[in-house]
Amino acid sequence: MTTRREILKSAIAPLIVPSVVLGQRAGAVAPSDQIVFGGIGIGARGAHVLSKLLGFSQAKFVAICDVRNERREEVKSMVDQKYGNRDCQMYDDQYALLARQDIDAVLIATGDRWHTPLAIIAAQHGKDVYCEKPCSMSMEESWALADAFRRYNRIYQAGCQRRNGANFELCKELLKSGALGTLQTLYANVGPSADWPPIPSRDWLEAEKLPPKQVLDWDRWLGPAPWRPYNSAYVRGGWRNYYDFHGGGILEWGSHTVDLCHWAAGLDDTQPVEYEPVGTNVGPYKVLCKYANGVNLVMRDDGWEGSLKTGSCSFRIEGDQGWVETGDATRIESSANIKPLLRPTESASLALVNHVADLLRCIRTRQMPRASAAAAANSHIACHAAFIAYQRGRKLTWDPEKREFGNDDIANRMRSRALREPWRV
Amino acid sequence: MQQTAQPAPAPQPAKAKPPAPPPEFQEGDIARMDAAALIRILTDSSSPEFQKAKACQRIGELGAKEAVPALSALLGNEHLSTYARYGLEPIADPAADDALRAGLSKLKGNLLIGVINSIGKRRDAKAGPALAAMIYGVDADVARAAAAALGKIGGVSSKKELQAALAKTKGMTRMAVADAALVCAERLLAEGKRDQALALYASLSAADMPKPARLAAMHGIIREETSVSRPR
Repeated sequence: MTTRREILKSAIAPLIVPSVVLGQRAGAVAPSDQIVFGGIGIGARGAHVLSKLLGFSQAKFVAICDVRNERREEVKSMVDQKYGNRDCQMYDDQYALLARQDIDAVLIATGDRWHTPLAIIAAQHGKDVYCEKPCSMSMEESWALADAFRRYNRIYQAGCQRRNGANFELCKELLKSGALGTLQTLYANVGPSADWPPIPSRDWLEAEKLPPKQVLDWDRWLGPAPWRPYNSAYVRGGWRNYYDFHGGGILEWGSHTVDLCHWAAGLDDTQPVEYEPVGTNVGPYKVLCKYANGVNLVMRDDGWEGSLKTGSCSFRIEGDQGWVETGDATRIESSANIKPLLRPTESASLALVNHVADLLRCIRTRQMPRASAAAAANSHIACHAAFIAYQRGRKLTWDPEKREFGNDDIANRMRSRALREPWRV
Repeated sequence: MQQTAQPAPAPQPAKAKPPAPPPEFQEGDIARMDAAALIRILTDSSSPEFQKAKACQRIGELGAKEAVPALSALLGNEHLSTYARYGLEPIADPAADDALRAGLSKLKGNLLIGVINSIGKRRDAKAGPALAAMIYGVDADVARAAAAALGKIGGVSSKKELQAALAKTKGMTRMAVADAALVCAERLLAEGKRDQALALYASLSAADMPKPARLAAMHGIIREETSVSRPR
């Protein structure tokens, strides 16, 4: 039998700590010290994230992979213009990009259906990952994502940038300091039903003539999603609100705001144990949730700006001695006793810059970033559970340890989705 | 860090709504049908593809074991195979395992890979020998899927097969075998078979293993050896 000493000896001997892990040298960043990125599926949102990444001298972006020719060309043009060269390489096969040994990390901003499978494939290739939200299409994908990044010890930063937003941080600190008293209820603003109803459609659009494969590879665009006939509306950004491509309005915004609630309340390692849907699919709705420690979480549709007009992706913390609420408008609303404790914060729009900086720092130090795969998995599972409760139209109980609903077999069968061959997680 | 801060664009309302689905592509009553009605859709040769697809998904939610024959008949359909597995994967009855296992000898290419993936998800140990043989087949994508399924199934038998395959495969297939072995090691740890898991990690730590898997195995050893719950 192999002894523990023998195993450790064989394991540790070849370990060499790369210089990049030990920190950045002062002054200009040598090419050898740059973190080299590739990108997969960069559209409008991905280009926004990429624009921030390109602002950091510690990062270098060298390759783009996309199933759409025009997207490849657009990203290459953006990157080449920034660097003043023509070096950005284009790929239509993610495996070719991921096989490049010079690439340390990838930015994934595809449609939601691709997020988990691609992130896991990237980890298997030894890459660190920044992935847009929602990070998963099901509970099963959430678990697989967290497992893969723990297994490969890779850095994963979910596109939950508000965790690095100053106004959101101040609210968290006010709770942590005790100024709000004992935590009672968290509020997460979820997708407005007018744009993203909680339950997406299972219908198909009519079939249109497929474009040439070199213009759009429909098979790869569908990726892990079940087959359906091509329609250009999906590809033009209209894939949301279709069940096979989208997790519904709760996940769409909850992947930001439920995630904020978990982070602010120190609940990153668990999920609520009760989910009670209130409302219909066509008007404002809520899901009333409760954690095992008695704290309430209300996922609520308060429109784009929230009832207090604190901006999109607002969240609210209520303690027994005070409350705070903030969102993308940066302004923090609060109970009267908290107002003296408020101070101006930097614009919420800087959250993404801070978030990318957090990623780069963690790639160097191998520390856990704020929106790790494990944290994202738990907040996403809460959203998936709420989505399932909404579809079932009844209150559900959930056991985070057993990973199962306690009172609904159908709900348990909705924890995973079959992926189209050959994809898997 | 050098960074020019730029204001983020204001949140954009959702894009204009897409065209309405045509009547023949609307789910309608299928969402509320019972198993018998759904099976009738699947077994009626005149049922449109769309209706069959939606019936499969609904059956998966109901977990109706009586639908297994109708679902398995669609595993060879290029458009509907995913939907058939959507229906089969959540059915708890062993008949679903039997149906998927039967597909191993009937299907090829991606359709076969889909069945293998579902077998892995369901952790059907009876498929172990067939999957182990597939690792050495001519279709490299099938070989990788078979390895991944074995890793998910886990257990000592899978461990032996994967350990052997580490020495007999190369390139992307070896990478897939190594990934499967990492998963298998975690399964063994969860089952309390610590020595078996550590031996697998040790195999994966060899200098000639794919680098990501080698580093992951080392990480696994360190994580396990420094765990407060390890035997002392």
